Order: sequence, then C-alpha cells, then structure tokens
Amino acid sequence: MSEAAIFLFMIATFALLAMVLKLPIGVSLVFSALAGSLLGGEGAALHHLVEGSFGYFDTILIIVTAMIFMKVLQESGILDTVTALLLKSFYRRKVALLLTVMALVMFPGMITGSSTTAVLSTGALVAPVLMKMGLSRVKTGALIAMGAILGMIAPPVNILVMIMGGGVDMPYVGFTFPLLIIVIPLAVSTSLWLGYKNIKIIEYNQMKEVLPESFFKNYGFRLYLPLIIVIGLLLGQSLMPGIIPDIGIPAIFLLGSFLGIFCGKPLNILKTTQKAIEESMPILCILVGVGMFIQIMTLTGARGWIVTSFLSFPPLLLYLGIATSMPLFGAVSAFGSASILGVPFILAMIDKNAILTSSALSAVAGLGDLMPPTALAGIFAAQVVGEANYFRVLRFCLMPALFELVIGMAVLLFAPLLDKLI
Amino acid sequence: MFIVYHLIVFYLASHFIWYLFRENEFWKRVSVALVLIMFFLRLFLIK
Amino acid sequence: MKCLKDRLISGLLLLLSLALCFFSTQKFREQHKKETLFPSEGLASREMLSSYFPGLIDTPGDTEVYIYGGQNPGGNILILGGAHPNEPAGYVTAVILIENIQVSQGKIIVIPRANNSGFTHSEPQEGNLRGYSLETPGGKRFFRFGSRLTNPIHQWPDPTLYINPSGQKLSGQESRNLNRCYPGKPKGHLTEKIAFAIMEIIKKEKIDLAIDLHEAAPEYPVVNAIVFHENSAELASYSLMELQQIGFEFRLELSPNNLRGLSHREWGDHAQVMAILLETANPSQGRLKGKSSLSLIIEGKDRNYSKAAKFGLLFVPFDSEGIPVKLRVARHLAAIKILLSSFNELNPEKRIEVNHMPSSSQVKLKGIGQFLCPPYRK
Ligand SMILES: [Zn+2]
Repeated sequence: MSEAAIFLFMIATFALLAMVLKLPIGVSLVFSALAGSLLGGEGAALHHLVEGSFGYFDTILIIVTAMIFMKVLQESGILDTVTALLLKSFYRRKVALLLTVMALVMFPGMITGSSTTAVLSTGALVAPVLMKMGLSRVKTGALIAMGAILGMIAPPVNILVMIMGGGVDMPYVGFTFPLLIIVIPLAVSTSLWLGYKNIKIIEYNQMKEVLPESFFKNYGFRLYLPLIIVIGLLLGQSLMPGIIPDIGIPAIFLLGSFLGIFCGKPLNILKTTQKAIEESMPILCILVGVGMFIQIMTLTGARGWIVTSFLSFPPLLLYLGIATSMPLFGAVSAFGSASILGVPFILAMIDKNAILTSSALSAVAGLGDLMPPTALAGIFAAQVVGEANYFRVLRFCLMPALFELVIGMAVLLFAPLLDKLI
Repeated sequence: MFIVYHLIVFYLASHFIWYLFRENEFWKRVSVALVLIMFFLRLFLIK
Repeated sequence: MKCLKDRLISGLLLLLSLALCFFSTQKFREQHKKETLFPSEGLASREMLSSYFPGLIDTPGDTEVYIYGGQNPGGNILILGGAHPNEPAGYVTAVILIENIQVSQGKIIVIPRANNSGFTHSEPQEGNLRGYSLETPGGKRFFRFGSRLTNPIHQWPDPTLYINPSGQKLSGQESRNLNRCYPGKPKGHLTEKIAFAIMEIIKKEKIDLAIDLHEAAPEYPVVNAIVFHENSAELASYSLMELQQIGFEFRLELSPNNLRGLSHREWGDHAQVMAILLETANPSQGRLKGKSSLSLIIEGKDRNYSKAAKFGLLFVPFDSEGIPVKLRVARHLAAIKILLSSFNELNPEKRIEVNHMPSSSQVKLKGIGQFLCPPYRK
C-alpha cells in the first residue's frame, strides 16, 4: 500500500466520520488514525496511538487550566470589573483604544507563545469592551483571533520558532528584531482595518448604562490580584528568568484560579472546574486525535511522503508550497506544521539567514491556528464573543491573514536583502 | 514541581471522571474516555 | 433522576479507558528493560555514573560506566554513546567497543547509555519502532530505539523557556536534551545532573580526549562530521587527512562559540579536554523518513531520502542502497581509531594502546553482529 493511498484513506475516513456521520472532530480523528494504522499493516497499534496523543499532553494541560482560570475570572466578577475599568479608561480616542486593545490581546500570546491563552485571557476581557463600542460580534472575534496569532508570533516567546530552531540546532537568540519587523505592521494594520470604521465613541452617560457591574466597591484592590499574579508570573518567567520561578503555565493558571476563590464573589471551584472541562473537552479530544493522526502518518510513512513531495518542488513551487502547506497543515496543528514542515523548509533554504527564514515561517505557520477544523484561535475567539458559527469569525480574519501571509512570504523572499539591513 | 504537576494531573483526572458521569451525550463521553487514557498513563507514571 | 442505563454506559466507558490504558502499558513498560551487555575480558572495572556524582544514586539517570586499562599510565579517553538514544550507530559503536577492546596502555572509559532515561521511551509522533535486533553468530540481540530526550515521567514538567547552565535560552523541551545541558548542575533537574556527573568523570579521571558519538538526520548540515573544540583543532585536522586517505569523507566543523550547552563546547571550556563530537547520517531519525521499519533502522534504506538526494536537499550522498547502520558504525570506529592514533602522535608522552578494536573495514564487510557477543554468554 503506497503512502499516498494511506494518507488519502485516512483523510477520507475522517471526512466521512466528521461530515457524514457527524461524529465529534476529535473522535473522527481517532478513528481515522486507527483506520490508517490498520490499512498500513500496523494492526490496531494501540501504544502508537496513545504515544501520538502524548505529543499534546502539555498543551492539553495549558488549555484546561487556562479555561479554569477564565471561568474563575468570570464567576468571581473580576472580568466584569476589569472590563468596566478598561471602558472608562480608553473609550475616548479610537486609535489609542484599538492599539491598546490589540496590545492587550497580544500580550499573553507574546509571553506564552500560545494563541489559545491569548484568546482566553485578555481576549475575553476586551471582547465586551469592543462590542459595547459598536464593533460587531464577528469582527470583535476576528480582531481577537488575529491579535492572538500575532501575539503567538511576537517576541519574547515564539514557540513555533523554538520548535523549528530545535530541529536545526539554532539557538533561540537574536529573534526579537526580525519578529518585530513582521509583527508590528501587522498589529497596527489589523486592528485599524477591523475596527476603525465601526468603533464609535459613546457618551459617558450612555456608556454607564451598558457598563458591566464593577465589584471594586465590594472587594477593593484584591479583585485584581489573580490577574496581576498570573500576568506577573507569565511575564516574569521569561523576562526575569531565574528571579521569578518558572512554575509552568498550567501551574500559573491554577494558582491564579485558586487566588480567585478568595478575591471576588464567592464561587464553588469544583463546579467551576466542571464548567471549564465541559467547554474545553471538544478541543482536548481534537488534540488527542491529532496526536494519534500524526503518529500514524509518521509510522506508515505518509508524513515523510508529504514532506518529501513538498521539498522536491522547484523554487517557485517551493514558495507556493510554503504559502499553502504550512497554513493548511495548521488545520492539524500550527505547532505540528512548524515541526513537520518548518524544519525541512528551513533546510531547503539553507543558503539564507535561518533566523529570518524561521521568523517568516513562524508567521506563515501561525496562520494555521485559523485553519478549520481545528482553527484554535478562531474557535475560541468565537466562543469568547458568543458566536456559535466560528466560520463567520474566520471570514473577517481572511484579509488580515492574507496580509500576514504576504509579509511572511516577503521576508522569506527578501531575506538576503534584509540580512544586510539587520 | 514534579509533585505539583502530578497533583494537577490527579485533580483534572478526577474531574474528567466526574464529568464522564455527568454528561449524557454518548460521543462526548467517548471523548472524555479518550482523553482520560493519557491522564491515567501519566498518573501511574507509565508514559 | 439520572437513569441507570446512563450510569452504566459511563461506567463502561471508564472501564474501556482503563482497559486501553492497561493494554498499552505493557509495551511502554517493556522499554524500561535494559538490554544486557557483555564486556570483553579487557574490562578493568564497571562503575555506575553515580559513583562519580552521588546525586544520581537511585535515579533513572544512573548508568553503567565501563573502564578499560589503567594499569600502565598513558592517555585517558572518554567515549560517550547513547547521549541521544534515537541514534543507533552511536550506541552500537559504544557497545562494540565494550564487548571487544583491551587497553594495554592508558585508559578508555565508555558510557554506552549516557542518557539512560531516554532509552525508556519513544518520542511522541515520531512513530518509531521500540527497537531493532542485530544478528550475532549465536542468535539475535535486541537493542532499544529510544528518544532524543529524557523520559517525561522522569523529568517533568518542561520549563516554558529553558535557560541551560551556560545561560543559553532554548525551547523548554531542550531541558531534557542531554547534549544541551552541559556542564550540568549538581542541584539541577535530572538531565542537568547527568551532564554534571559526566563532567565529574572527565575531571576525576583526568580525561585528555573525550569523544561524543552521535548521528543526525541526512538533511541536517552537520552530518558525516567531526565537530571539534578549538582545544582539539590540531587533532581534528590531523585525523581528517588520515581518514580521507582510507576513504572516509568527513566535514570538519569548529564548535561554534555561541552555541552553548553542547558537549564539544562545554567539555572543552570547563574541563580543558580535547572535545570531539562525531556525526553520521541516520535516516531513521529524519523528518523525511518513510514507513518505520527494521530495514529503515538497520539497512538505512529509504525511498524519500533517495528522492531528496536527487533534488540536492541532503548533506550526504544517499542512493537506493541507503546508509546501513553497519556503515555508520564503521565510520565511527574508523574515526575513533584514527583520533586515537593521531592523539598518540601529538602526545607521545601520553600514549594510548588499544587492542582487539574491530576495524572499520571488517565491520563494513561482515556486519555488526559478528563483533557482538551472542545473547546467551554469561
Ligand atoms: Zn545526537
């Protein structure tokens, strides 16, 4: 059985289960991985399936704990209070408001390198602000999704680059400037493109009516404590390594959640955890399925076949291949895309400055978080703004995403030129 | 840190089991069961 | 009221989850079983790494250290295999040395499973086989194919950002990569402790030349290479010429000054030894590799790599014949042999004399198994 046939069979099984039988995406991925394993002559390679899913074990912990933290912020009234504070501070000037919002959304992504974290933490905080100021639900979602992806690419922490660097033994040093060249124009243009026309400055009195309830009068400053601790620890572990302990993102979120119990409205942490698990379960199962899917693709040789096929393209097709395959593969996982395709692509362009190449590739791979069915950034952004159909959010991401693709590809093409400038 | 993370895995695994018994939709419960495999294996320090 | 049937289904699913967990357990557990090695008559003593650094006692990082010679003073050599357990030629070369050599002057110390924990698991999403068997005259011997990184059940969680003992920032998972953790930390995490213990061996045994055996994917630029610390520049260039004369092409790479935490950098910087790292080309750890199979690991054949070579994407020649593991082991053996003889030329006052070291041409001709002990010997 050829690798191509196995791959197509796995994709077909997945499509059949997910689209025709309407099984959850994660479960469909698991079964299509199993089918691929059987067809590839590996039998029901249970330990391979399980092993594959472990590739995302740490990611799963981050997602669940981030979701718990987010639910705690909501139920303790902290989210409402912060929203109120933001509204009061920034509602006067459009551009300042939009850029601040963009920076806020990007911030957790910059620190954690994960777009999901960005969407779920500050993304969720600014969403009500934007919607109150007249930005539509879907455009708000798009702004948050794009901000999260830009945050993921922006320095100081870009996990995509780290993954690619790990594959070619390139230390994670000297990336701040190249990454900023890519991210800053995108951040400014995206926030203005999506928001400038629709955001309306409203009267303070008018706004007061729609302001969420601030619990500051009841609980005082300690309301902000969980947020400050979480942001401080996230920031500290990368900006002041060695001084602030690196307890890992899941532990930071849980610590914040624990503090949240005592800092605002009383809540039952067990029930809050249940809600968080209920909400994050689909994505958790998708990650389990994707892990199994990749493992079987590698085991049966389908992964190698795909990578080799892309690499054997002539230069023009190679760039076309990067521009299409990396975001497309992001449908499976942006991190997977960086690791499986990014590394060979860097190697295929070995004559260029690898720092620039990998920075640009990370921008392209980051778009994978917008690619259905996983579309991590899109799905969570839709959830945060309360939009049931995440495709409507993705539609507004299209232009900014294309712009990001163009910038990423331009940096790749003009790497030798930029190399001299830096 | 190792112990802290072990406790986190334990806490989440117990919640997954609780959720498994709370949920009524079949495929959602299958999802939970699939995710649980990993949590058990890490909890028992096997993988 | 929640009906009984629903409870039953949930219960069954929980049982199913536990059952799947149970059935996969055996395979994962098997990988913890160490393969027996059969040291040659020349073995002077077998120590544990923890005897050089007690911080490793009773940890999964503790590993065997095989010492040869030492009766007649001369040069002291350290040879490290299995720093990356997914690089079979490095491990097997160390095993071949252990099972064959005798040292009449100087001392050779071999650590075959430098990252012992890495042998106990496979990397997720790499779809690797658990191991491979090599045919010896008396039957098959099984060797595990592990992971580049320490097992997460031994060292977890990874930091968000790993700042290694030399201050280099790396991605978090590199904290489990032994060859990024040098010179190690006595109170660090497991991998840093292993790195520290290896530094202790180098210092306490007064090592003169330390060789780290590796492999790399064929698409990786540093392959078929001798990476050398500036301390050993003369040795490396001298050896290169000799190797070329007997038909082995090697790339000579100076250890970059800004790439910290690697053996060839920190061994030289912190213990002033001559540090050398050897790389051969291993298709079974590459990103282009096809179906995982014994033939991929042992015969080193892969259609994708032959195709990639045609497009000029690789840093080694690769045709339909592949690069079998016996050829890679032969390369390592040839390089070690010539490094030792060059060492003798350059340091006549610290001679090292090794006997019964299988020659590269014999290994190439007869295969690896001929130089391994049969599985039943005591
Ligand atoms: Zn290696």
